[in-house]
Amino acid sequence: MRRRSIALSIWALAIVGSLVVGPAAPAGPERTSAGTIVFIHDQEPPSLRGSWIDNNLLATGLVTNNIWHGGQIYDNTATLQPRLFEAKPKLVKTSPQTVSFRYKASAVWSDGKPVTCADWKATWRVFVNPQFNVVSRAGYEDIRSVTCNGKAGTIVFRTPFAAWESLVSGGVYAAHVIRGKNMNQMFNDSIPVSSGPWKFQSWQKGVQLTLVKNPRFKVGPAMKLDRVVFRFILDTNARFQALKAGEGHVMEPQPQLQIADFLNDNDFKVQRSPEYAFEHIDIQLGPRGHPALKLPYVRQALITGTNRRQISSALYRTIAPGLPTLDSLVFKPFEKALYQRHFRKWGFSQSKVISILKGKGCTGGPDTPSVNNSDIFSCPGVGRLSFRFFTTTGNQLRTLTFEIIQRDLKSVGIELIPRFQTAGTLFGSTLPSSDWDLMMFTYAGGPDSKITSNTLYSCGGDQNYGNYCNPKASAAFNAATRELDPAKRNALLNRGDTQLAVDLPSIPLYVRPKWVISAANLSGPLLNTTSEGTPWNVATWQLK
Amino acid sequence: MLSYVVRRLLYSVVVLVAASFLVFTFVSVSGDPLAQLRITPNVSEQSKQNVIDRKHLDEPIPVRYWYWVKDAVMNQFGTTLLGDRPILPDLWRVMKNTLQLVLVAELLAVLIAVGIGVYSALRQYSVFDYAATTVSFLGLATPLFWLALMLQVLVVQIYEQTGHRIFPIASLNSVDAGSGIHFVLDRAHHLVLPVVVLMVASVASYSRYMRASMLEVINSDYVRTARAKGLPERRVTMKHAFRNALLPLVTLVALNFGTLLGGVIVTETVFSLDGMGLYFYNALLANDPYPVMAWLMVTATMIIVFNLIADIAYGYLDPRVRYD
Repeated sequence: MRRRSIALSIWALAIVGSLVVGPAAPAGPERTSAGTIVFIHDQEPPSLRGSWIDNNLLATGLVTNNIWHGGQIYDNTATLQPRLFEAKPKLVKTSPQTVSFRYKASAVWSDGKPVTCADWKATWRVFVNPQFNVVSRAGYEDIRSVTCNGKAGTIVFRTPFAAWESLVSGGVYAAHVIRGKNMNQMFNDSIPVSSGPWKFQSWQKGVQLTLVKNPRFKVGPAMKLDRVVFRFILDTNARFQALKAGEGHVMEPQPQLQIADFLNDNDFKVQRSPEYAFEHIDIQLGPRGHPALKLPYVRQALITGTNRRQISSALYRTIAPGLPTLDSLVFKPFEKALYQRHFRKWGFSQSKVISILKGKGCTGGPDTPSVNNSDIFSCPGVGRLSFRFFTTTGNQLRTLTFEIIQRDLKSVGIELIPRFQTAGTLFGSTLPSSDWDLMMFTYAGGPDSKITSNTLYSCGGDQNYGNYCNPKASAAFNAATRELDPAKRNALLNRGDTQLAVDLPSIPLYVRPKWVISAANLSGPLLNTTSEGTPWNVATWQLK
Repeated sequence: MLSYVVRRLLYSVVVLVAASFLVFTFVSVSGDPLAQLRITPNVSEQSKQNVIDRKHLDEPIPVRYWYWVKDAVMNQFGTTLLGDRPILPDLWRVMKNTLQLVLVAELLAVLIAVGIGVYSALRQYSVFDYAATTVSFLGLATPLFWLALMLQVLVVQIYEQTGHRIFPIASLNSVDAGSGIHFVLDRAHHLVLPVVVLMVASVASYSRYMRASMLEVINSDYVRTARAKGLPERRVTMKHAFRNALLPLVTLVALNFGTLLGGVIVTETVFSLDGMGLYFYNALLANDPYPVMAWLMVTATMIIVFNLIADIAYGYLDPRVRYD
């Protein structure tokens, strides 16, 4: 018994000792070779298929964009640049819309087979196959035919599709790999080929995914690195700590206060830029919303009584100082040539709110704005201005935003009642039910999302959950989806946005910033606000 | 004994069925798994409909539950809701990871706690006893997530001051973990912080039980008799008192172990360990009832089995306990 106890104790000590002393603890990313960098990310792709219904994640795109490589890719100014294509695809004629493209002679798959138009055609067939659960068929289902001649292809559309360039330029599957396969079950765990700068090597689920240089990639600069390893660390704090502790080289963090710790740290480089996602408050104009919201002057009071500038500065003062207020529901401030500040006229003025409401015969509210006010206005025929405000629970920034808006509006006699729900309930049940008054959330998107603004703001639009309907706005947004001339299309979109700024079906707040933090000893990463993600220029990345 | 075991297992089946139905219902009504797709522009209605048809989402919950039962029995828990991904391989993977973590943490916790508990009891009201009591209460009162975060911050501070990363912050292994003994050592190195966090609460709790149990035994008549017979103190302590004092702890550890195998959500989340707890948490966030159900069945089975083991072990260690 005694001997056994001693032996047990020795074993226990040996285990503990080996844990501490055994594996050497190197300074620098975890025992990696010189040409390996570690990309820390907060989500793991469910599969490597691409934009599938379970898989419409940035995390998947970060990995697959450089495998299913694009004919063109978005650079860091959100401009499409030829990659596998010889040149930009051409709009041959507008009726019927016909587009031509040609892959470079040097564009080959990692198994040596050439990338051809047949790959594009096979990809198109995947996207229009109703059995396959792709996240979106937009554009693909408008195609009448694809005619191939080796590397060259001609696409004829059935109906005009404005976002044709990004559609044609997208990454394609290898026809010889997917032929006859059930795509719903393909690429769950690996990808056998690549047309991009890196190719798949291994995936330890729940831990990391490793990509290695594709030696057959000749259409652009080859990767200087040997490997890129994506490490999946789901906990926010652990992610930042791991980067600080040298367990990784680069990450794209969500808006988190921990970013501030890196701003003045010489061991790291922080890049910031607004992205295409924007925060806004939708106003319910349907029968299940508060009747007062159907009155334009009440909506004007809401936007005038909301200090939008204070919201963006209060939320992002430390990590994104100077974040501008968003004054358009269609264009973003960084789209300088297109962005028109139609909502600018709705500046913050509490006294103006009171005069608007009193001018329309509303009673019971305060005479002057006051933070201690508890009097709420009632307006003729619609009752008290007390609204149910829905947003997601567990999001610190949204909670703070709500508190600012609630305080601002209470000061002028408008009451907001918080209704915070989980994202599943909010977007799954509440939003489509239209049984809400005000709802704050983010619309994510990309450079082409504006083209389909009709789904949000046209009468009967697929995602027009606020039930806004103005024939003038609908006409402009619907026409924009069919307009192939970018200048005319942008003018139509701005015409629609002008009408939105008059009708106020939604209050734009701010464009969400995006960050990239990289170790100082890694050169090359350039923030890309499109879905290409930071690795869009991975070929230039280099460890110093 | 055999009839007792069979009877317990039969009761357990009823419990499992009832629990599975309740959990399926709660998860199904708690939110829409297609929610995110509703705010994604241009989502294919056909793709959404394919999911609805495949998983019978348009059927009432009892019907959907019946389809799940069939899938679970005939198709190894079936597939995930949106991705149609087989559930069982993922579940096996995370179970193995959790088992490694929990096994090491519990083993070390029991060894340390027994030592502390016995010594505290034998030296009641000594400085060591007071110190152990204070530290135990501190351990019981410390929130695990806070402790985990503090340990991470500490390791980062040491790294920033000295350039040495004494323990990894997160994940199960290094980028190049190697194989064989190198892999084992690397995995062990990564599990140090999570094990410490898990051990703190277990050591605190087990040592209190052990101390109380040991105190009770060493003051009992038969121990006094053994001493009166002139047996050496070490023999009285180790052979007569210690074995009996272990009884309550055996039960507690067995029950606790079964529960921990279901995953240690906080520890696994903070340290990003690909285990049962994190698997469950992610499935819940995705409103996907199918992995949640698979997790539930495995966890509930573990708890039932370890309850049974505790009962049987109790009977084995204490001949006075008999099962009819």
